[in-house]
Amino acid sequence: MSMEDGSSEVGEDSDSPTSDEMVGYRQQPGKLPFSKPGSGGKNRFSEPTDQSMIPESRGGGLAQPWGSHKHDNLVSGQIIGKPTSLVDSNWKVTGQAKYGDDIRLPGEIIGRILRSPHHYARVLSIDISKAMELPGVLGIATGDDAPGKFGVLPVTKDEHAMAVEKVRHVGDLVACVAAVDEVTAREACRLIEVEYEILDSVHDIKMGLENSENPIHDRGKYHIGESNVQKRVFQQFGNVSEMKENSIASHEADWTFTGVNHGFTEPHAVVAHWDPSGRLTLYTPQQVPHYLHRALADVLEVPMHQINVYRTFVGGGFGGKSDPFPHEMCAAILARKTGRPVRINFDREEVFWVNRGRHPSKISMSLHADSEGRLCGIETDALIDGGAFASFGHVTTYYNGVLHTAPYEIGAFHYTGARVWTNKPASGAMRGHGAVNSRCAVETGIDDLSERLGVDPIDFRLANLLPPHSATITGFRVTSIGMRECLERVKKESGWEEKFRKMPLGKGIGIGCGFFISGSGLPIHWDPNKFPHATVHLKIDMDGGVTIHTGAADIGQGSDTVVAQSVAEVLGLPLDMIRVRSRESDTSPVDLGSYSSRVTFMNANAAISAAMEIRDDLLNATSEITGAPTESLVIGDRRIFKKMDPAVGVSYLEALHKAQEDRGALVSSGSYRTPPMGRAHKGAAAGLAPAYSFSAYVAEVDVDVETGQTKVERVWAAHDCGKALNPLAVEGQIIGSCHMGMGQVLSEEMKYGRTGHLINPDLLDYKIPTVHEMPHVTPIIVESNDPEGPFGAKEAGEGPLLPILPAVVNAVYDAIGVRVDELPITPDRLYKEIEKRCRKEKIGDPLDLSPPTLLFSPLQETLVERAYLHSERDIERRHDDDPPPYHNGALFGLDPEVPGDEQDSRWAAVVIPPEGYLDNPGLAGSAWKHAERRHRED
Amino acid sequence: MVPGPDKINWEAKVNGRMVSFPIDSNAILLDILRDKGGSLGTKRGCDMGTCGCCSVMIDGTPKLSCLVLAQEADGCEITTVEGLSSGHHLHPIQQTFAECGGSQCGFCTPGFLVVSAALLEDNPSPTKDEIKTAIEGNLCRCTGYQQIVEAISKASEILVSGDGIEDSTSPKSDPHPGFAGE
Repeated sequence: MSMEDGSSEVGEDSDSPTSDEMVGYRQQPGKLPFSKPGSGGKNRFSEPTDQSMIPESRGGGLAQPWGSHKHDNLVSGQIIGKPTSLVDSNWKVTGQAKYGDDIRLPGEIIGRILRSPHHYARVLSIDISKAMELPGVLGIATGDDAPGKFGVLPVTKDEHAMAVEKVRHVGDLVACVAAVDEVTAREACRLIEVEYEILDSVHDIKMGLENSENPIHDRGKYHIGESNVQKRVFQQFGNVSEMKENSIASHEADWTFTGVNHGFTEPHAVVAHWDPSGRLTLYTPQQVPHYLHRALADVLEVPMHQINVYRTFVGGGFGGKSDPFPHEMCAAILARKTGRPVRINFDREEVFWVNRGRHPSKISMSLHADSEGRLCGIETDALIDGGAFASFGHVTTYYNGVLHTAPYEIGAFHYTGARVWTNKPASGAMRGHGAVNSRCAVETGIDDLSERLGVDPIDFRLANLLPPHSATITGFRVTSIGMRECLERVKKESGWEEKFRKMPLGKGIGIGCGFFISGSGLPIHWDPNKFPHATVHLKIDMDGGVTIHTGAADIGQGSDTVVAQSVAEVLGLPLDMIRVRSRESDTSPVDLGSYSSRVTFMNANAAISAAMEIRDDLLNATSEITGAPTESLVIGDRRIFKKMDPAVGVSYLEALHKAQEDRGALVSSGSYRTPPMGRAHKGAAAGLAPAYSFSAYVAEVDVDVETGQTKVERVWAAHDCGKALNPLAVEGQIIGSCHMGMGQVLSEEMKYGRTGHLINPDLLDYKIPTVHEMPHVTPIIVESNDPEGPFGAKEAGEGPLLPILPAVVNAVYDAIGVRVDELPITPDRLYKEIEKRCRKEKIGDPLDLSPPTLLFSPLQETLVERAYLHSERDIERRHDDDPPPYHNGALFGLDPEVPGDEQDSRWAAVVIPPEGYLDNPGLAGSAWKHAERRHRED
Repeated sequence: MVPGPDKINWEAKVNGRMVSFPIDSNAILLDILRDKGGSLGTKRGCDMGTCGCCSVMIDGTPKLSCLVLAQEADGCEITTVEGLSSGHHLHPIQQTFAECGGSQCGFCTPGFLVVSAALLEDNPSPTKDEIKTAIEGNLCRCTGYQQIVEAISKASEILVSGDGIEDSTSPKSDPHPGFAGE
């Protein structure tokens, strides 16, 4: 159907929609054609609206199996739900996107950092005189220039711009130099003379639990013993005392996870410039510009309003660019000293010294199942290696426990976690923050438990899921849950029933699930105020283009795109009329940044509420022009018209100009803050989120039993993201997560040599999967329509990483009957396990091993029946606008409407080790043998 | 200043333009292209030939510019990512990378674009395996490669069919549809 000939043709065409639907543009009766200034575009007529993009509640054809959503009446059928190229992709594909190292300012000079060659040492003196004499050196800074501490979490500020008193790991910053070029700066670093007193360093994670003569940091009165324990957590919920008696099958495993690095392709780079008016602009690829902004103000002793943090394009973040970094402080200090713009760019080795990757961990996991196939207990003990600094570790220590209290209904949860300082590059937040390793341990445990029970692991999971709108055992409020659909879809599409435990030796299939926060309920800087988590400003002037000001950091995940989409959808505009300004703290409202998968949920919600204000202005103006009541008006493609009589209406620009009378540009501000949630025990806020994502993956592997080589052949990846605002980006996140998780499970590890040195700080020996290692991934998007998400959306950036690890580990077991408890599953590690099994079963040739088989026990039928009943229950609950409360514990006979601890004293929450616990503590639990200094007499 | 190596005069055709300036005899091509050659689109990811971000075409062959002495490329024709599009008409590979989600953070994208453009020049209809072989030296941490392989296949279809690529400055949406020019 051609729209070029004008609207008079419409309606005669047999393909066209019926007359009462919005089709094209019809001139308002009585008005002469005229053109508005600045309208010059090619799309003269608005498009027929795609009915499949409009929800049923608004008269469209969008199927809503999950019921209606509060944003349904804002859907204009423009762009939400359509695969959309990133709005900045043309900048990237033409090479015109400017990343950190691409910022070149006139008169710039080069900064280099002098790093510690020692694991742990006291800095006795630094002599910079020789270096200063080198021609071309313009400035040198040391720890004396910025003694203030900083850190991403206000409770654990333990970093300095450069060493003050001590260096804490090889690669720790000692001094920095600014010079005319890089060669000179490097030479100057060599000429700086530093005198060290070497201290005994700690490398073994277990040693971190012990008292030390020189703890790596001193927490003052809060210091735990004289040890290197940075954070410890004890949590007990549910019927812990009886979980073992009630169980008929138990799983136990002691896991070792090595550290992994984000491996983003862009090394850190920063440019600092103090402008002629004395303000600092810092150009940096940051995920969290706002926290950097705060830290800069503290360290430089300059008020925040004198600093402009400019986020360049970010060449991959994954959590690795979310701390305020010492090198960012260094650049600012050097630029202030020299009066010239200073650029520091890292080489790849330095990226590994900064690290902040996933924590190396030792995790003991015990799971217990009772005679009805219920998960009557989870016991986790996680000792995590924080490296030299706290970073996000306070939170990671909680996340290792609390993020596996769902999606299953559990009878008891016992968690002890501890994070220790060691003399290694600091661990921090990495995609799937804190949840990945323990999730791997839980999901492989469930696989083992199902085998012991003689049931199918998918059916076991389906029969133990929490329903929608429920509370977990720790009191997290879970809204939408698409877990069941995820499991059912991957089961069907992978051909699970024909394959599981039925394939020949070397071929295997495995399942894994995930659960992740969609934004952290508690902002990191919980000042005693009620600042929103996200704010979005809109500005629209007479040209009709919409400028979005947001501080959300696009790190490649497409946050600019999703914010633009949300505004375009509400205002009925094509995407080319939206421009996003998200780079500078000077112009963008404060946003907490890109971490904890919060951006789509919080920022798109803020954008929607800002757009709703403008929408109201446009509807009121249209009502004034046409005389139609505001409530009868709807917005379509660049046109506002009567829903029941589309002929009555005005163009977008007409309404806009009317709304602008006497006030000029329309501006609006929208914001988002999480609702009050959660319970009151210590640590209750860690893991709280306004919504949670769910995922289930099936992986098919091929294992060569003679070499131990594992190849992942296929992955079916179902992820519940609530609503895919941009399915192209969601699929990209799912496949990308598979890639990153596959790296951790099969090849990536930060290796430390016998002397404690990191021996593979480069991309040759740190093995990121190439295109040849990637399996074909079938992304499956499940949309559970979250009631509070923007148009129903939840996160899709981190959660999809979790299930791939256990899915692969379980598939390896299915293939060769060997359960690993150490990652990555490199051929040498796996072959040792294969040899072990051969010896145990007295088999000479690994090719004679038999793959595991499964004989169903009577319990299988019970579970299938319960899963069916639960699925009925879940459908009912998700369609109920006000479902009755459901607290974890109902499956175990408690009243679903009351939290377990309020009705049964055995279910009481305990967050301090009870007497007697220390007689036989877990590894991490033994951190509680120390008393904090303030509680000691000495 | 640190005593430097000999200066030599360097001349090359970068993205169709002759350039000539003195360089250090030990200068690396990547540095020269970024600092003097006007190609900040060529990215530095590892400095040791492991990531592929710095790929450029030297006389039509994709090379890792971080492992090439600038001297070696003296007198050569060098194409970087900036040289792929023609005016405001993107190269098909650039368009399909955007459309298929082949570029997320975009840092590895220039390298991928250069090696795949070189592949398509050699072999306009590569198979999936040939595509994978062509990009095996490039690391991407965001996409998991799947959408990149799709983008290259789709670009090959466009190249083979000869369909044009739209000028990125072509007219855009009219905020006042239906009134203009009646």
